[in-house]
Amino acid sequence: MAKHKRPVKQAARHLITKLNPRSPISEQFRTIRTNLQFTAVDDTLETMLVTSANPSEGKSLTIANLAIVFAQQEKKVLLVDADMRKPTVHYTFRIDNRRGLSSLLVGEYELNEAAIKSDVPNLDILPSGPIPPNPSELLGSNKMRRLIDEAKDQYDLVIFDTPPVLAVTDAQLLANFVDGSLLVIRSKQTDQESAIKAKELLEPAKAKLLGAVLNDVQTSKDQYYYYGE
Amino acid sequence: MEETITLKEIAQIIKKRLGLIIVLTIGSAIISGIFTYFFITPIYRANSQFLVNQNQPNATVELNEIRTNVELINTYSVIIRSNRILDEVIDELQLTISPSALAEKISVTNENGSQVVTVSATDPDPKMAVDLANVTVEVFQDQIDELMNVDNVNILNPAVLPANPTPVSPNLTLNIAIAFVLGGMVGVGLAFLFEYLDTTVKTETDVEKIVGLPVIGVVAKVQETDLVHIQQHANRRQARERGVTYNG
Repeated sequence: MAKHKRPVKQAARHLITKLNPRSPISEQFRTIRTNLQFTAVDDTLETMLVTSANPSEGKSLTIANLAIVFAQQEKKVLLVDADMRKPTVHYTFRIDNRRGLSSLLVGEYELNEAAIKSDVPNLDILPSGPIPPNPSELLGSNKMRRLIDEAKDQYDLVIFDTPPVLAVTDAQLLANFVDGSLLVIRSKQTDQESAIKAKELLEPAKAKLLGAVLNDVQTSKDQYYYYGE
Repeated sequence: MEETITLKEIAQIIKKRLGLIIVLTIGSAIISGIFTYFFITPIYRANSQFLVNQNQPNATVELNEIRTNVELINTYSVIIRSNRILDEVIDELQLTISPSALAEKISVTNENGSQVVTVSATDPDPKMAVDLANVTVEVFQDQIDELMNVDNVNILNPAVLPANPTPVSPNLTLNIAIAFVLGGMVGVGLAFLFEYLDTTVKTETDVEKIVGLPVIGVVAKVQETDLVHIQQHANRRQARERGVTYNG
């Protein structure tokens, strides 16, 4: 599909909302934040997951920046790396991954032991932990459900980074436990068919499919600098 | 799925692949030029003309006779390209080609319903073209006497070898022009094909219309200018973190 692989990990480390909060791109993330708040008028959006159809469509970049803009709004945010197959959140925030979600689920640690304070105020991060052999079973377990409830009590917003929908069932499982899910679509890379398929896979879940974030859009210069839109 | 395409979209598609179109257009023109110039053998043509006219004992020319002569020309043009004539031409010029191959090289045309017939011969060798035209007409003149018992063929204008012969084919300019146009057409065709085959999601409208999801937000591509700015911060931060890790 894509002619050349873009350095995704490198891009994921660009926490633009933290490093350059006044950039137009940061403003675009704040717009997403606002829109998400408007989407969930009736029921409060306390837990949500971010996923995409295929790998390397910008999930991690989107989720990290989204977590930061929510935290900048004085909300207590927990970012959970539920992608236990290919975890990246600990790279993005440069934290230790020795204990995390997987260790919590097997009962080794408590939530407040494993969640790590990031250098962004109000933002805690729960990395994936050691890679387990059975991520789907762990994510679908009752333990996971209890963990989410516990996290809800302690945080205003819990955001989950999940594996791509079309690759594994993890995101679908988790979508049943959270309030809303968000699909990241990468412009000029995500295929129409796979985006539709991803949507169809997420729709039956109990969580509301809030909408899509279109990523990596090529904008013309003048458009780009007009109040960040 | 009904799909309509507007003029603006056509312009955009062409603009997007303009490089491809230009490269194909110019590339095919150049290839055609090189191919024509170096690989195609030039063909020369020589014309020999004869007049069909009855040798009249009395000087009055009858209209009927002229008409008969003109009609005779149709018969003559078939005779010229017949094996009887061509075999003799081959003998005389000691050629190694078959009569049918020779027939390919020779064409007979009647100039505008007149009594003048032009025999054209084409050959890669200009001298051979001249010989072919002349010998064919000469042989024909001899044979027609036997065949039809008439002696009404007079050579009007034998073929001559010009000092500086120019080939009739290939036509370099024409070939380049054709390749240019064809290249352009193929380029435009490919541009549309690529556009059609590219089924990725591109714009917000695509997400809403095709995927059927509301767009919560759009994130622009991180531009180089942003990166420069960020990279400085990032480097500084990285350095600081590294320092802490190693010391602590």
